[in-house]
Amino acid sequence: MHDWIVKAPLTINWALNNSCNFRCRHCYSRVDTDRELDRETLCAALARVAGAGVLAVNFGGGEPLLRPDLLEIAACAAGSGLQVSMNSNGYLIDAPTARALKGAGFAKIGISIDSHLPEVHDAFRGVPGSHERACAALGHLAAAGVRTSISTVICRINHGQLEELVSFALQHGVEQLNVHNFKCAGLGLANRDELDLDPGEWRAFYREALAARERGIGIDLSFDDPIIASLGLKGGAGSLVKGSVCGKLSLNIKSNGDITPCGFIPIVIGNIVTDDLAELWRTSPVLERLRHKEPAGKCVSCGHYDECLGGCSARALAIGGDFNAPDPHCWEE
Amino acid sequence: MQKIQRNPDVLWREEEGAREEALAGLDRGEDAAEVGTALLFANGQMLVLNMLGADIWQSCEGKSVDELVAGLLEEYEVDEAVLRADVTAFLAELAGKGFIRYA
Repeated sequence: MHDWIVKAPLTINWALNNSCNFRCRHCYSRVDTDRELDRETLCAALARVAGAGVLAVNFGGGEPLLRPDLLEIAACAAGSGLQVSMNSNGYLIDAPTARALKGAGFAKIGISIDSHLPEVHDAFRGVPGSHERACAALGHLAAAGVRTSISTVICRINHGQLEELVSFALQHGVEQLNVHNFKCAGLGLANRDELDLDPGEWRAFYREALAARERGIGIDLSFDDPIIASLGLKGGAGSLVKGSVCGKLSLNIKSNGDITPCGFIPIVIGNIVTDDLAELWRTSPVLERLRHKEPAGKCVSCGHYDECLGGCSARALAIGGDFNAPDPHCWEE
Repeated sequence: MQKIQRNPDVLWREEEGAREEALAGLDRGEDAAEVGTALLFANGQMLVLNMLGADIWQSCEGKSVDELVAGLLEEYEVDEAVLRADVTAFLAELAGKGFIRYA
């Protein structure tokens, strides 16, 4: 099935705004544009996206709940046939808000929690009490019938506490713990020396995560990072797509409508208001390069390249200056 | 007899023009089993379906395996035992990924 080509993105990560009530030290979008599309423009764009074949949209930002018209925008998306989800810090989700989110059509909401320890999370997020509010949000959403997950960006403050994070997630009744790999974008790049792990530490973390998933831990432990191919696990999206899924299965839209391959690659390939999504998907030279990477540097002689395709293209670009550069997290020699 | 229930969280679509390409290949004597025409996606897992897989996915909801096989036999000129083996293997894969369950 190697000639089979996905005709449109399956999912779109869509930043509705970049305003935020938190001050996270790894935020990728804090340095992004403040311009936001109005609701009418967004709803028209969402309908076109659905018409192009996109199946799901995941709202982010910024903190999406700071948009006063979030519920109406979500209802537009759901009404267009898209599965609607969101990432939030949870601070503004009380019981009535959770019910309203359910009513607007949210199928699933991920809450960002960086540590099982409240003091660690609060210090990292820059807001006292944020851990308690995030935990409460999980309960309110579950009571309202919205499926929940916890999103944790793995970095220096938490990489040795996977077991505790899993226990914490189980205690709070979430279906899924998403452990995201650290991206060198925005403040994540500026604070990389302080927060990122070295390649050996990434290998140790993923070995532990794979072992936990294999023995069964009562929760869906999700981690999609192409560099784990060298540990014997193929891409989470199946054998059809190897390496990064950015530009192959998904796209990112910024708050001003600019389209990028993913939220961590600062290359604009078009705009959702002025450009045709299907045409961009077919013809963008940037997407073409992401879909047809060539090994460079140590990847040239690596036996795992056919499975990992050089790892995360965003990190490669940020640190190596090119999509084809080796992933700086990679531990292979 | 247990009935098949599709997981409502599974996103799926049939790719535009892909079925026509598969049918054209069949006319040329090619193996349609190797041509992806639809895809399923949930929780980071994607499955590419050939024409038979797409037909099974679209028609399996609320049916027993026997009912599903009987319906497909009306569409495909194939030995029942072969079809049943293919269907059973495919349903096992779907169940393994959490894309269907039995109730």
